Amino acid sequence: MKKIAKYSFIVLWSLFVLAPLSWALTTSFKPPAAVNNGVTFIPWLQFQPTLNGWKDILGISGYANLIPNMINSIIITFFATLISVVFGGAAAYGLSRFQYGWKKYKNPDIIFFFISQRIMPPAVLAIPFFLLLKSLKLLDTHIGLILVLTSGLMPIVVWLMVDYFNQIPKEIDELAMLEGCNPLQAFSRTILPLSKPGITVASLFSVIFGWNDLFFALVLTFTNVKTLPAAVVALNGTITPFWTLSASAIFAILPLIGLAFVAERFLSKGSLTGANR
Amino acid sequence: MANWNVSNSGLDFIGGANWVEMFQDGDFWSSLTRLLQLSFFTTFIQYVLGFACALFAWRGIAARKFFRVLWLIPMMTTPSVMAIVWRSIFREDIGAANGILNSLGIATVSWSTSVGAAKFTILLAEIWQWTPFMFLLLLAGLLSLPKEPFLAAEIDGASPWRTFWRITFPLMAPISIGAIIIRLIEASKIFDSVFALTGGGPGNATETPAYYLRTVSLTEFQISYGATLGLTYLVVAIIALTIISKVLAWLARSKGI
Amino acid sequence: MSLKLENISVDNENEVILKDISYEFQPGKIYVLIGRTRSGKTSMMRLVSGLLASDEGSILFRDKDFDGVPIWDRNISMVYQQFINYPNRTVLQNVEFPLLRAGISKADAKARALAMIEKVGLTSFLDRKPGQLSGGQQQRVAIARALVRNADIVLLDEPLMNLDFKLREQLREEFRELFTSAKEAVTIYATTEPAEALILGDELLVLHEGRIIQFGKPADVYENPANVDVARIINDPPMTILNAKIQDGQIIVGGNIKFKSPKHLGDQSNGDYQIGVRANEIVMNGKGDLELEGTITLVEVSGSETLIYADTNAGEVIIQQEGIHNLEIGQKVLAAIDPKRIFLFDGSGSLSSAPGN
Repeated sequence: MKKIAKYSFIVLWSLFVLAPLSWALTTSFKPPAAVNNGVTFIPWLQFQPTLNGWKDILGISGYANLIPNMINSIIITFFATLISVVFGGAAAYGLSRFQYGWKKYKNPDIIFFFISQRIMPPAVLAIPFFLLLKSLKLLDTHIGLILVLTSGLMPIVVWLMVDYFNQIPKEIDELAMLEGCNPLQAFSRTILPLSKPGITVASLFSVIFGWNDLFFALVLTFTNVKTLPAAVVALNGTITPFWTLSASAIFAILPLIGLAFVAERFLSKGSLTGANR
Repeated sequence: MANWNVSNSGLDFIGGANWVEMFQDGDFWSSLTRLLQLSFFTTFIQYVLGFACALFAWRGIAARKFFRVLWLIPMMTTPSVMAIVWRSIFREDIGAANGILNSLGIATVSWSTSVGAAKFTILLAEIWQWTPFMFLLLLAGLLSLPKEPFLAAEIDGASPWRTFWRITFPLMAPISIGAIIIRLIEASKIFDSVFALTGGGPGNATETPAYYLRTVSLTEFQISYGATLGLTYLVVAIIALTIISKVLAWLARSKGI
Repeated sequence: MSLKLENISVDNENEVILKDISYEFQPGKIYVLIGRTRSGKTSMMRLVSGLLASDEGSILFRDKDFDGVPIWDRNISMVYQQFINYPNRTVLQNVEFPLLRAGISKADAKARALAMIEKVGLTSFLDRKPGQLSGGQQQRVAIARALVRNADIVLLDEPLMNLDFKLREQLREEFRELFTSAKEAVTIYATTEPAEALILGDELLVLHEGRIIQFGKPADVYENPANVDVARIINDPPMTILNAKIQDGQIIVGGNIKFKSPKHLGDQSNGDYQIGVRANEIVMNGKGDLELEGTITLVEVSGSETLIYADTNAGEVIIQQEGIHNLEIGQKVLAAIDPKRIFLFDGSGSLSSAPGN
């Protein structure tokens, strides 16, 4: 009896997970009739798949071209993640190894301060950042968005990586120093290789949150630089046929699905334990 | 504290007028209430479902890796893009939802014009999107648990249900609390799904503070009022989250975990 | 070439870590630091290595101030108690690492590393990572890495503590041999076990609550502990210490048990004293000039001996008896002590007289 419940949950949930994705996928291949004359689901049985939707978004049919947007997203996410991980990692290392303090606020408070940045609703920051970038003439540029995203991603990186660094015994740093490394060499030659899992997890979360950002992309970029999610949402605003919209949706989320494999690999290695509190 | 029109950049000090306006702004406060209901409800469901998924993907079933990857996918998708997909599903005329309901003999639901249905669609989108997040954190937690208590329970002949309540759940308490708090923090900012799925509608039945803020600041260009709202929103969020985390910690401690 | 500590003091808010430490270490000798946990042994080592800063006093090495020298230039090796190795490097790479950092050529480094690895008996494990080795093997890698450098100062912080008994005995033997190669170095070894101190040390330093309370050759310290604290630290199993009074040539313990003061104590003035007896000098249910009746509170069988803790009128008595005895808590037992084997400590706890050999 319990087994039936267990397996039906698993099946139902899996179907639930797949449902919207398969809908979008099949819809992206539907000809107009399949969409407008009632709801259809199964390709070849209920309709003949076509490539119209895909041609529309890849610039082939002249409707829209999402490839530059994908490139934008890749560039922006890459650099935002890179900066966040490098500087956030350095901060995390410091917080793990050294004691900072100002009056009664010590390391744990500093870490909490970092993570509390996430509480800040982007909505609240919209105007300040808008005005800031405007005065720096960085509106609608790659750099502008990269900087803003970095400010939101670094807290996550710091929070994740402090845990990871804490799990590496301090004695290893000491040993490296005793054996002739100055602190920087100790870090790069011994600690860094050991923290690869931590860096991977931090990068994973950074990429996800960075790529998926809609809010700042909407507020801070308009015509020159448009990220993929923003572009897809813009398509949604105009009257776009279903099949095109679905194609754009699939196109936009495809890159990140590969990351599900990366995340699973690290679960198996037990290296995500650093994300727990 | 000032009134600032984007077009002419001068600063007029209008004192507390913004704040007065805020207190009288029913829309803002109802958006906050809505956010409270929404975030609590979705977080709770995500926690329960996520935990179930985590338990099954932990050791319970064959082809574990496959299901783990599958169940992680929604988290990797772009919420705003998925919201568009959901919208296409919930379109009254040519959407999949009504299509399925019709073929089952159930009347069509007016997803975008009925308040309840509209709220449901947002709930569904949020649950689909973020349960895997809970799933990930909880599974990582489960994988890091020591084996001994479970071996002991097995030897003692405890049923799976009992093992869960007496051993697994208490051991997972700190991680559960952490995951819930993180999810609540992110939930307090809900914007993407509202923006793309319902546009705050019908009317403003599904407006969240984030959405309202954007409307006020950027479409109506009341930047200074927007700043006032933003500040209040932030303060409320911080206070609420601090209270919640303290309550959860206290709960755990009083149960002797 | 010596390492000199002068009036070193370290304190940490309210806690005194080290107080007024002054000592000179000569190269080529093995110095053993013995003391309870938290007595300052690790702190002293961290001080020498530069990982801990002193609040007062100075450290001089080769008559030059060590304080200004950064850790990585001090040419010091350290072996930790928790088998610290570089987890992502193989055994060979681990041992090569310090040599490569010192600028030695790859070929030379490899040769020296291989030689040292052979010395510690790990040649068949060259390509393994520390995580794939047992505790004893990991610690040997750490030792190999520490010795391969011919460092000026070699520090070992209770290196055998986390190993099992048999392994400890085996490695102790190997240590004496290994350290003959560190002829030019100052070797400092910290431990809580008197046995290790007596086997390995050329010189012994006894640390208690952050101070050096005695130093000298291990045998000397063992035979003539300077005071009650040293006697407690240097004896394992613990020495029985009883409060006593001396009155007109008689020693009184437990209020009313009297016996004649033995000759080796000489003439002592009347007053309050403490007497100490080693556990293996007390005989259970035997005969002696001093016999104490007691109730057993604890029995520990260890190896081929039994350790018996008993409460008597005079205080707690600890007996080490040959053989394995089946005894129960609450049983009555007689502790027989030969007064000729008594240590006498005066009212302030300092040694007044020792029984000698």
